[in-house]
Amino acid sequence: MYRQGIASLPYYLGIDRLDQIATPEDRVCVLNILGGESRTVTPVSHAFSGGNVVFGTSPGRSGQVLKTPAGDIPVFNSVLEGLKAGHRFNTGVVYLPPSGVRDGVAELIRVNPDLRKIVIITEKIAVHDAREIRAMAQANGVDIVGGNCLGVADSWSRVRIGGALGGDHPEESLLKGSVAVFSNSGGFTTTIAQYMATAGWGTTTLISSGKDVYIQYGARDFAHGFANDPRSRAAVLYVEPGGYYEKDIDWSKPVVACVVGRWKSKLTRAVGHAGAMAGSGDSAEDKERWFIEAFGTDGVFTAETPHASAKGALVTNIADIPAALTAVMALNDMQPDFPPRGSLALKPWIANDQGLHLPPEVALPLVTAPDPYAGQITALSDQIGAVIARQGMKDKSGASVMDPKTQVTSVHGHTVLDLALQPLNAMFALPLVHELADAHDRALLDIAVSAEVNLVGDPILVATDAARDAGNAPNAIMAVAAAITGPRRVERALACAQALVELFAKSDLRDGRDEAFDISTIAVDDETRKLFLATQDEAEDPRPEAMLEAMAARGGRSVFLRLLQSFGERLSRDAILAAFTTTIAWGPMVRKRISRLTTETLPWYLRLYGVMVGATIPKEHHQSGSLWGIPRSERFQNWTMADLCCLAMTGKKPGPTEALYIQILIGLLISNGPGAISAQGAKGAVAADGPQTPERVQINKAMIGFLTHSGYSHGGNGFEGMAFLLDQFQGCSLTDPTDPAHGLDLKAMAHKFALSYKAEKRYAKELGQEVRALPGVHHPVFKGKPENFDPRERFIARFMEERGEYNIFHDFYRHLVRELFEVGASPYVFCVNIDAIIAALLLSVLWKDYQSGALSPRDLETAAFTVFLFGRMIGAAAEIDDHLNRGRNMDTRTPAAACGHVL
Amino acid sequence: MQVTGMLTGARLLTHVGFPTSEVLGPDATEDQIQALIDKHKLIFVKPLFRGGVGKKGKAGLIGRARDLKTALAEKERLYFAEHRHGNAVAKANGVTFEAGVPADHEVYFAITDDTRFRAPTMTITHRGGVDIEELDKSEIASVPFDALTGLKAFVVANALTRIGAPKEIISPLVQHLPKLWELMHHYGMTTLELNPIRMLAGKDGRLTPVACDFKCGFDRDDPRVGRLGLPDYLFAADISDFEQEVNQLRTHQGQSDVFVINDKGTILAPTFGGGANSLVTEVLGDSAIISSDFGGNPPYEKMKAVASICYRHFLKQTNVLFIIGGKSNNTDILETFRGMGDALREHFAKHGPVPLYVVVGRGGPNLVRGMGNLADTLDSLGVPYRFFGFDSAISEVVAYAKQVDQWMRSGGRDEIARAMNISA
Repeated sequence: MYRQGIASLPYYLGIDRLDQIATPEDRVCVLNILGGESRTVTPVSHAFSGGNVVFGTSPGRSGQVLKTPAGDIPVFNSVLEGLKAGHRFNTGVVYLPPSGVRDGVAELIRVNPDLRKIVIITEKIAVHDAREIRAMAQANGVDIVGGNCLGVADSWSRVRIGGALGGDHPEESLLKGSVAVFSNSGGFTTTIAQYMATAGWGTTTLISSGKDVYIQYGARDFAHGFANDPRSRAAVLYVEPGGYYEKDIDWSKPVVACVVGRWKSKLTRAVGHAGAMAGSGDSAEDKERWFIEAFGTDGVFTAETPHASAKGALVTNIADIPAALTAVMALNDMQPDFPPRGSLALKPWIANDQGLHLPPEVALPLVTAPDPYAGQITALSDQIGAVIARQGMKDKSGASVMDPKTQVTSVHGHTVLDLALQPLNAMFALPLVHELADAHDRALLDIAVSAEVNLVGDPILVATDAARDAGNAPNAIMAVAAAITGPRRVERALACAQALVELFAKSDLRDGRDEAFDISTIAVDDETRKLFLATQDEAEDPRPEAMLEAMAARGGRSVFLRLLQSFGERLSRDAILAAFTTTIAWGPMVRKRISRLTTETLPWYLRLYGVMVGATIPKEHHQSGSLWGIPRSERFQNWTMADLCCLAMTGKKPGPTEALYIQILIGLLISNGPGAISAQGAKGAVAADGPQTPERVQINKAMIGFLTHSGYSHGGNGFEGMAFLLDQFQGCSLTDPTDPAHGLDLKAMAHKFALSYKAEKRYAKELGQEVRALPGVHHPVFKGKPENFDPRERFIARFMEERGEYNIFHDFYRHLVRELFEVGASPYVFCVNIDAIIAALLLSVLWKDYQSGALSPRDLETAAFTVFLFGRMIGAAAEIDDHLNRGRNMDTRTPAAACGHVL
Repeated sequence: MQVTGMLTGARLLTHVGFPTSEVLGPDATEDQIQALIDKHKLIFVKPLFRGGVGKKGKAGLIGRARDLKTALAEKERLYFAEHRHGNAVAKANGVTFEAGVPADHEVYFAITDDTRFRAPTMTITHRGGVDIEELDKSEIASVPFDALTGLKAFVVANALTRIGAPKEIISPLVQHLPKLWELMHHYGMTTLELNPIRMLAGKDGRLTPVACDFKCGFDRDDPRVGRLGLPDYLFAADISDFEQEVNQLRTHQGQSDVFVINDKGTILAPTFGGGANSLVTEVLGDSAIISSDFGGNPPYEKMKAVASICYRHFLKQTNVLFIIGGKSNNTDILETFRGMGDALREHFAKHGPVPLYVVVGRGGPNLVRGMGNLADTLDSLGVPYRFFGFDSAISEVVAYAKQVDQWMRSGGRDEIARAMNISA
């Protein structure tokens, strides 16, 4: 049952010519105009079409309006209400959710006798509803386009009805020309128009048909309107498998058909577009055949096989459409509508190879995007450094993570085990630049920190000595030093770093050490220049020159320092420090590994490193020009961070083995993940200052947060292992713990202790007391097997073995766990844990001085705590920087509901 | 979403009172089978397939038995039978025992939406029981009818008369067949096929149509399907865990079906737009892991959820994460890219980083903001990438993604792994 429209057709079709599909006279009513999709699309359509939407509906929102660049569109509860308000329309657009579409169509048809067309945008309409919609429209003489489509548009009359053909800038793609487009794919309707423009072809009418089972405005309907449309010299069809819509159509004018979807025949279910299921005889291959037969060509048109006739060409890739169209039209003596616009060649807009050397076919050079995108991309690239989204960082970290299985923590992708084998100065840089520093950058770091360690003449020295005299543990002493290293003490160094970043931000400099970089391109105004120069008050400070000499002696290179030195005036220590840190950070920053904020705050961290290490050295050893007797120039030019740390702990430059041990110890202690108390202290301090206003966050106070959150239990207990070993080796004649020919019977020593421990256990059990735990033995995770290993201990042990290093204390521990089992003091062979390694290495470093009486047991305890603090100082810097970049204000607090009250 | 066979079919047909053969399921006891044989003399043993399995390729997969011993032997033979047709392979899990219906006439009947007429269409022939493609067109009637008034008795009568059906079957069919429209239209079916309907003679000689095989397809977008209360497992055939999980998020706002193309593939391509999906899947071939269409302006949360599922199932094997679509019309690029980027960040944090190269080809609202957001995420993860705008041909970008995949396979993956300090 259908109303008779065009006489020659056995069904209703009202649109006789394509130019009737979207005309300037059409007046539109949009159902669900305030829905999510319509709200963004309708204003663009309305403005593009010169204001063709008379009203929209949204139940319960009568009286509201949809704002558009072409004026407000009134909203009514229903179509009837809009009509009663005096509005008239001939075209309905449906943005209703799927379940409401059928009723919306019924409403449009029943209450508006002027209705001629409906465009249904909604996708996933039930076939049940689609068949009833078809029947209603046929019976009442209404043309429908869709559903599951993007509507229709006319490039000649600049009218767009329904969906978003041409996106938010329809004028970019809907170029007036001579080709009609009919596409099963909404997205490709626009894409095809855009592709055609590259060969000089514009469009007349564009129809996104949808690809549901019911294509309400199908290829046959299009063919009729196309034949009668004098504007359209050719048509482009985009067709997917499924349905017989394109079969046996007589195309009166040239056509390029693109059939895509051969792969779908492999599937047995509907894919993508709901109706695109290959049934019998309507697969992609079948449809290709229909068109090839209709066009009388020999096959598919490609660049290599340009099969085309005056009737048309079949392509299977939309990229071939422009060439096929040009070829077909040439056979009809027809030329393109306008000169080609743009090309379809590969044009990467944005890329980052992350420092990799990619082959040329992958590393395609960037191409400037068309406007307005080029401007937007430039604005993006002005954004130097990584941009990190903020989020609640309570108990979370972007810097560290502990693997619960292996108990191994990683910091910025490097496990502490790997870090333990890295030079110490590389570890100090990692938390801040997120990459392992190379030898050159490590040297800069050594100089920068060396310049901060000697505190002679600085009030810090008085304060820390007072703190030491007051009986404080090393963490409290370091905290005093950190507290004095407040914002004003780094103000100029940070300003220098900021100025350097600003000066070079748009310079295309990739490597801060680039000798070939032309610094004459960097213009520095007088005020900025002044910022870098030493003041009169600093005339006596010998360090700037010493730093520059050390830089030259170590073969350092820095674009930034080169610029500053080009001023020909005396530079301040702050300026040189900032030049060093910016040199180290520049590469990671432009590779977007770190943020600009991190680069600009780097001097503060290095100053804190130096001051905190310096604070652990008693006052009397800080002398003008020397530290613990080491002359300034030697320290600046030759010493490493490991040497400095060892000096702070032992009062002398370490030998190679000692330096290695200190490096391993510090590496192992860097981090235990964000859950560690020390990390929590640092993170809480950042959260309390408010990382969302990063300039107010006191990084020194965050260091204090870590220091106050370490103590005799968390950090100081490293001494327990040493104390245990001292007990075992009391009175023995050991002189060199690294000499395997020590002459001691470790097995016997271990056996003796195991027996006594077993007795102690039995006794404690009888009394119902808790048995003391042995430091360095056993682990709650690595247990239960006949023989157990802590993978961290194994890693270090293997490394030592490979190097031919021997450590008697470690060896004793290995005997101990076996003997404990042999005598029945343990149910299986316990593991030797990581604490044992730490105790063994540290005691080995300190053994000789302890034996000679130079170090007291109290000194050993201080040394154990200090080495922990040096390690954690690095880990804390990582957490502070991470929280500063990622966190939100006060994000570490616990909601009241999650807190408990106990009595 | 298809159902075949009489076990479920008989249940569905009772909703509209259409006569069916008696059927027992795989859990039938020997006593029940014996009773069925006693009553009907002949029974058919058929493998029980989930999903859609047509007649084609079923030769040899039907057992007939007149005694219990044969019935049990056939049960054993067919219980895990495999059905192959083209690329589709179905494995049975169980058998049905269906009563033989003695009859002189077999009828084929189907209702489906025919795109030639754009209307519901009845197809009928009195020469049923075979593939109807084998019959002469003059023996088959394909008749569209009005969806609003439905399948009427006269439509059936006229059609049967036109193809010269025996007079004695016309009246009973006219009486019963219109009921099937009620079943199809009101319970969310897209197609319903009974073949054969056997015309069983009653004591008075009057014939009754009895459905002896059943096949229907359901519309997954039609909530009416829920009225039948069919268990989910009926539709779970051949769908991977991934497909089940990801397609649960399917709504009208973004994301059509997602399919696994090759679970050993190396390019993970979240694709936007049905057209792009077709093109990309075709050109990527076996390199593609999935075929997807995430267009339709999915909101951030949904995009992130879908991306998370894709990453969890496939990122480990992925060389190229390929985000591809044309110039979107209304899909917000910032929202979708932010969703996919954040999901990647979280995946790396939870499951560890993987060596990856990201290729993007896209256009649409908030394009550069979206690209900038994704670039920031990838920079922070140390993942290399290249983004193309809408002015590069989508097919060229697909070819580029394949080229990157080739490079990844021949050492590139190791190189990226080294740079990211992870294992390849």
